Amino acid sequence: MLDSGALIAHTTKLELVIRHVLAGLGHGIHAGRERGAGVEFSEYRAYAPGDEWRRVDWKLMARADRYFVREAERDSHVAVWLVLDATASMLEPSRSMPLTKLQYARVILACVAAIAQRQGDAFGLVVCQGERAHVTPAARGPRQLQRVLAQLNRTEAEGTLPGQDTLRASLHFSAAPSAVFVAGDFLDWPSPLSEAVLRLRRMRHDVRALCLQTEAEVEGGFDPALAYRDPEWGEGVFRFGPDVRAAYLRNRDAHFAQVVADCRKNDLPMLCARIEQAPGEVLRTWLNKRVYAAVRT
Amino acid sequence: MSSLWWWALPVLLLPILWHRQKREQTRSAPLASARFLPVAQPKQLRVWRWNDPLLLLLRCLLLAALIALLADLVLPWRGDSVLVVPGTPAALVDKEAAALPDARRIALPDRDAVDWLHAHEREFKPEARLLVVGDIAMPATLPRFRHAVRLRAHSVAAARAERHVAVFSTRPEAWRRLFAAPQGGVRTVIDARPGPKTALVVWDLPEAPPATLRAPLWWVALADHQHARVFPELAHAVRVGAIQYADSARGRLWTMDAWPLADADGARALLAAWERLAHPAQPWTAPPMTMAPDAAAPAGPAGGALRELLSIALLVLFALERMLAHVRRR
Repeated sequence: MLDSGALIAHTTKLELVIRHVLAGLGHGIHAGRERGAGVEFSEYRAYAPGDEWRRVDWKLMARADRYFVREAERDSHVAVWLVLDATASMLEPSRSMPLTKLQYARVILACVAAIAQRQGDAFGLVVCQGERAHVTPAARGPRQLQRVLAQLNRTEAEGTLPGQDTLRASLHFSAAPSAVFVAGDFLDWPSPLSEAVLRLRRMRHDVRALCLQTEAEVEGGFDPALAYRDPEWGEGVFRFGPDVRAAYLRNRDAHFAQVVADCRKNDLPMLCARIEQAPGEVLRTWLNKRVYAAVRT
Repeated sequence: MSSLWWWALPVLLLPILWHRQKREQTRSAPLASARFLPVAQPKQLRVWRWNDPLLLLLRCLLLAALIALLADLVLPWRGDSVLVVPGTPAALVDKEAAALPDARRIALPDRDAVDWLHAHEREFKPEARLLVVGDIAMPATLPRFRHAVRLRAHSVAAARAERHVAVFSTRPEAWRRLFAAPQGGVRTVIDARPGPKTALVVWDLPEAPPATLRAPLWWVALADHQHARVFPELAHAVRVGAIQYADSARGRLWTMDAWPLADADGARALLAAWERLAHPAQPWTAPPMTMAPDAAAPAGPAGGALRELLSIALLVLFALERMLAHVRRR
């Protein structure tokens, strides 16, 4: 089987990657509330490519010579919200394979979107990028999936996180029950995004955070010959070497210990994953368990 | 004096400094987790690196060529040498040169070996030994050289000289008698027709000479009223003693009021004047001597041996530099 990481790195076709990642995952990971077609008829809707054939009303097709799909009424609506941190720091590449955190996060969120679509949930997307939040309103159906995937594909990492007010205005869905999937690097903590996420959790939404890391970051394996600068803060030059590795790991561990502690305090499951890991495995862990730590490789 | 230009060599530092990259920032890469690293001073690496090394090389060469041209660069390339004065018998040269078997032989242009050696002394390597053979002209003062120089002078008996004269006259016998007057060591040959060896033309005819006839000296024996027609240049003749002279396209013209065809003293004086003009006094032969190298001896005058080469190099380098600079600017 082709390595999913390599596939992410080499194709921009998110559908292909999703199919590849979700091949062994199956349905029903998330507790969808959809009762299926025909439980309580609501309306007819024109067929759209991607709709399941079994939902097409054949008798109506014989009468009208067109395809119509029977839409069912739902008991309740759980909207799935995908929040993508697309700030400049998400351009951090894996030092061992041609893959960035943004590409990885994009695939994971696309998989979540595909699962939500399969289950019939409405799903929307919030991209935090360049001090703004781009919101794709929640909807359901195959077209929404195409919309979300296109938006994900368009996203380039740049700038810093939007301010607290911007985020608060963008996350206007907080009234309805929703599942929120946040993917980012959480290097800024506390940040407007962290405040927003914790606030959503306190409002009883099902919030899950995915903290993406690279192997080089976790193990402190950077090239000592280069000087480094922060992609978001801009000023200042930083040095790496064997002598500062211990201090680096100590600082980093302290930071993420604080992040995990805050999450645990607010009962917010956070998964720390390395982008070198197989996305399918990471996705399964993220959706299945209420984790507060890293995936085991 | 021109060697002072070598002090201008530090000018070469200018392009070297201009081409040096001003400052090199430490190469930095973005790193998301850089905030966990200690801050380093943003280093202005003072790297010794030059941009456009080809252009730099051309400019340095250009300046060096210019300075070398101004300083009149002479490369010492001659080793042991035997300088041979013209007219020296080969056997004599071989005998004297036996002391320096590997020496190159250099034929001198004239007898004045000391003068030539002064002019070309910078072309000889410091350890070169020099031997001058032949009828060397004696210098006025004792020469000083930076090299060991031996003068092996051998006076050569001057060959009996001949002078060819063409006479155009209605009274050739009288002229023949004039030239028969005794002259020290010189024999005068009177040719029937003027040839390339003709040193003197005697024109004693009223008509104009053929336009193609040329000679270094003309004796014009015509009445004054005929001068204007035959030799118009004589109208502005300058008088020196009894002789009037003027320069024309045919050669120098002499005329006298009365040619001393019958006067023995006058004829002798006239011939002596001609002799002094044609053959100035010859220097004495220098005595054999050996001169030790004298480091304090003044350097010879400008050599100019490489001047042409350096000028061409300068031109080529300048053109190349302009072209390359233009290409780099685009």
